[in-house]
Amino acid sequence: MKVFPYPRLRGTVSLRVDAARVKAPERSREQLDSRARSVVERVVALGMAETEDWDTATLTVSATIPSKATEPGAPWSDIAVVAVLTDRSTNTRVTSRLASDAESGREWRGELQMLRSDLSDRADLTVQVVATVEGVPGRIVGEASDDWIIDVGSDVPTREQSFEIKEVGFAKGPRRLQNFTDAPWIVNTSGALPTVHINTDFEGMTDVLEAEGRGPEGLVNAMMVSQMAADVWIAVFHSAIGDLEIEADGTPLFPYGWQGEVLREMLADVVPDRTLEDALREVHRRRVGATGWAELQPRIQYAAMRRAEVPRALLETVRGLEKLKREDEA
Amino acid sequence: MEAGEDFGPWLARQLKLVDMTQTELAQTVKVTRAAVSAWITGRATPRPETIDRIAQALNTDLATVHTRTTDTQAGLPVGWYHRPGHVDGGRELGNAAAFAFDADVSVLARETCQNSLDERLTTHGQPVRVRYTLHELTGETLARFREAIHWDDLYPHYEASRAQDNKVGRVIDAGLRDMYEHDRLVLLRVDDYNAAGLTGDDYGDGRFAAVVRRQLDSHKSVSTAGGSYGLGKATLWATSRLGLVLINSTLSEPHEGRTERRVIGRLDLPWRQVNGEPCAGPAWLGRPDPDRPGAKVVRSWWADEEAVESLHLTRESGEPGTSFLIVGAHDVASLADDSSAAEGDEAEDDDSIQRMHRRLVHALGTNFWAAMVGGGDRLPLLEASVRTLRNGAVVIEEKRVDPMVTQPSRTRALKAFLDGTTVEHLTESGQVAATTVPLNLPARGGKRVSMGEHRAVLLVTNAEDADDKPNRVVAMRGNRMTVRDTAVPGLPLSVNPFQAVLLTGEAAGMQAPFAAEAEQFLRAAEPPEHNKWGQTEELTLTYSPSAFRRISGLTRETNSAIKALVARPKKGSKQGGGRLARTLTVGATKKRRRLSAATMPVLEELDAQILEGGAWQVIGEIKVPAGGRDWRLVPVAKFDVRSGPRPGIAWAELVGVDNCQVVDGALRFSASGTATFRGVTDPTTHAVRTSLSGLVVELRTGEGESAS
Repeated sequence: MKVFPYPRLRGTVSLRVDAARVKAPERSREQLDSRARSVVERVVALGMAETEDWDTATLTVSATIPSKATEPGAPWSDIAVVAVLTDRSTNTRVTSRLASDAESGREWRGELQMLRSDLSDRADLTVQVVATVEGVPGRIVGEASDDWIIDVGSDVPTREQSFEIKEVGFAKGPRRLQNFTDAPWIVNTSGALPTVHINTDFEGMTDVLEAEGRGPEGLVNAMMVSQMAADVWIAVFHSAIGDLEIEADGTPLFPYGWQGEVLREMLADVVPDRTLEDALREVHRRRVGATGWAELQPRIQYAAMRRAEVPRALLETVRGLEKLKREDEA
Repeated sequence: MEAGEDFGPWLARQLKLVDMTQTELAQTVKVTRAAVSAWITGRATPRPETIDRIAQALNTDLATVHTRTTDTQAGLPVGWYHRPGHVDGGRELGNAAAFAFDADVSVLARETCQNSLDERLTTHGQPVRVRYTLHELTGETLARFREAIHWDDLYPHYEASRAQDNKVGRVIDAGLRDMYEHDRLVLLRVDDYNAAGLTGDDYGDGRFAAVVRRQLDSHKSVSTAGGSYGLGKATLWATSRLGLVLINSTLSEPHEGRTERRVIGRLDLPWRQVNGEPCAGPAWLGRPDPDRPGAKVVRSWWADEEAVESLHLTRESGEPGTSFLIVGAHDVASLADDSSAAEGDEAEDDDSIQRMHRRLVHALGTNFWAAMVGGGDRLPLLEASVRTLRNGAVVIEEKRVDPMVTQPSRTRALKAFLDGTTVEHLTESGQVAATTVPLNLPARGGKRVSMGEHRAVLLVTNAEDADDKPNRVVAMRGNRMTVRDTAVPGLPLSVNPFQAVLLTGEAAGMQAPFAAEAEQFLRAAEPPEHNKWGQTEELTLTYSPSAFRRISGLTRETNSAIKALVARPKKGSKQGGGRLARTLTVGATKKRRRLSAATMPVLEELDAQILEGGAWQVIGEIKVPAGGRDWRLVPVAKFDVRSGPRPGIAWAELVGVDNCQVVDGALRFSASGTATFRGVTDPTTHAVRTSLSGLVVELRTGEGESAS
């Protein structure tokens, strides 16, 4: 729970992206269709732009702040509302002052410009209400309760991120995959997003992967897909837990990006009945501490299996097999 | 001298009223019969001293004869006429048309506004102004009003009606009890200005007779008219628990040489027997008509200002239009509404005028927002306002219903269309996309041929928070009353909230092909409530039994046009992996929010202040659930930072205040319930000045674990 040494704004500050456009050098700017913005998910997908090599993007941002903020008699003065865009991976922070356009002082609107080169993948957009409080200028008295995601690459405005899946022949593929020519698939978590490399040189792999339906191929497909998914989840969990930022007193921080999401989704199954922060601390303590890491492995496997829906896939396979057998006998 | 009416017709009517022949008048005022005849035909006017004698003969004062704005009070007095029972003994125990609707102020608002729109005077392009006044009368004011409507004459009829064990009888009984037990009466007045008014003869074809004398007569003057059944006016009487409506109309074209203060009252009661006389049902308040056999039937009369004042029927200006005064207004639907409201809420009982006020405003905003929108060079069609009074004193100020407030995004859409500022594709929020959808019109007369294709205009814009449910399409015709309000089916969940408006018929603009035909076709497809388009008898008779399928076609086209504008096309899976791709996603918006363990104590409340010397003093309140007292929790204080590790702060003092104690820096709880601790930080461990940063306090499980 947070407390501040000065009065803050109660009530919600809300934020919307009203328009987005991109511009490439020496080309006219492109106004993005409203479908590139999702008001429901609060995501802008700049990848929907048809201009391929755009270098700047401009967002029209509007914010609604509580009317208390600008009423006379408030404990602050010189209210300003700023849009703040942060990209944690490039450590970029872009701000832009919004202007109040209504008489009520509740609606603020402005534009925020960003450079493509400043952003790697996804950036967070929020709005802060800044004021002079008790003679100290520039204090944050309020912040938007929900932020927006500005996705530079994606062409679908969703919060959900998909891991990458690449079908490639290992034998003639990149050198690092050539060591695994006899493996059907390999999970690599070192990139911007975890990637599953599927070995198309493996005999029958592509056929099984594309099989559907209730026949034997479909059953094998369901089994294999859940097995692969379990592999992926175990790998991404270890990868995420292995690279945590630690505070001075040893408290681990939730990482940013997909790693954080993986931990949030899986920790509930790994260390049940604890808050997420507590669970993270517990897992980290066992990993770096003297004892307990080995004992935790079954729980990680369990969490990955649940996430990959292995039990359901297996059950369906078993039943499907029985059905096929009955049909053969009939 | 300003005279209300030509002398001739006025005198003729007065003679009729007092039942005096021209010869008798000639004898009384000592002139020839030919002179009287000359006055009446307008060939001559009487000399001043003769006028004096005429006034005496008519038993009235000089001013009345000079101004001639009212009839003389001589002759037969204003009173109630009850239609006698049918000679065949038939009985009507209520008005069937009134049962077609709920007695509900929102239905009333819909029907009356629709009538006013239909009767709008279009010559100046000005909107018709409709004003709803809720007026609660109590005590002395109520007594005076009862006197004005000749309550004592009516009361036996109410007594006879309430005794009947049927629906109408029970409603009347409730209305009478409400009036006598609570000493109050709610009047709901509906005024329109810049409308045609009740023109025409008292008995013959015309607006007056259509409203006052007839049932199911829809006297509509324009092709875009909303109403078509003549049922709507029944809601006026249905809204009155006493079945009583008084009318004052200012006419747009003179009748009997006059326009202002044409007054009549109509009472709708079931069949009854009073003083041995059977009464068929309806009764009228008016002046007995000497032209009718026995001079019993009453007709509208031209009232003076005092009379309309006492009847609460004074109109604010001489602009044409009609005032309906619904006596004993009630609102059935509001009983079902707001059931969540606290019981025994004395301030607002079910028929409270405040609640009726709110519901009126809401109904007007929902159904007529579009008619209240102007744009381009066109003024709105309608202005509506609602006010509430009690004994003449204002309870809720008169306020115009503002479509921008009640329906912001739809209003914006329509305004953009009228202003011509629509776009093809939506890029910015606040924009309005316009497109057209086809409506294939059938030929009249049951042939299976098409007459032509009407292009309805579809407007789509993003929804505002203030709107009600998003992702809907409302449809309307030329009178811009909301006919249909439906959800758009089959949209993906991720679609940005929007509102759509479908303008058909003459609403689609001047250039739209076959607008008038579409107007007729869709009007035929509306039921009496005018709240949807579908199969109706009229549609089957005028067109063909399958004509309604063309409306389904319009709906289909509309929905797919909306989808094309707002829904993202489904992307084919661009990456491989078959079904694997679906399982490998993270960060979907909060599929399930996991609650923290139920047994774990949580920090409920934190009260912090800065002490002199720069230390934080925090008092934390912890909720310890049942079975949670075994937890050992360590309060941890840190500075709040934007990102990265937070600098920690050491405690200088940490004590349990209530229900807990501190052992080795951890809290031990004595029992479940609420526990309180107090901590004071050590300012020497502060990384920044205390006043410059926020403080984060967390509870951490501390079983055998220390900061390492």
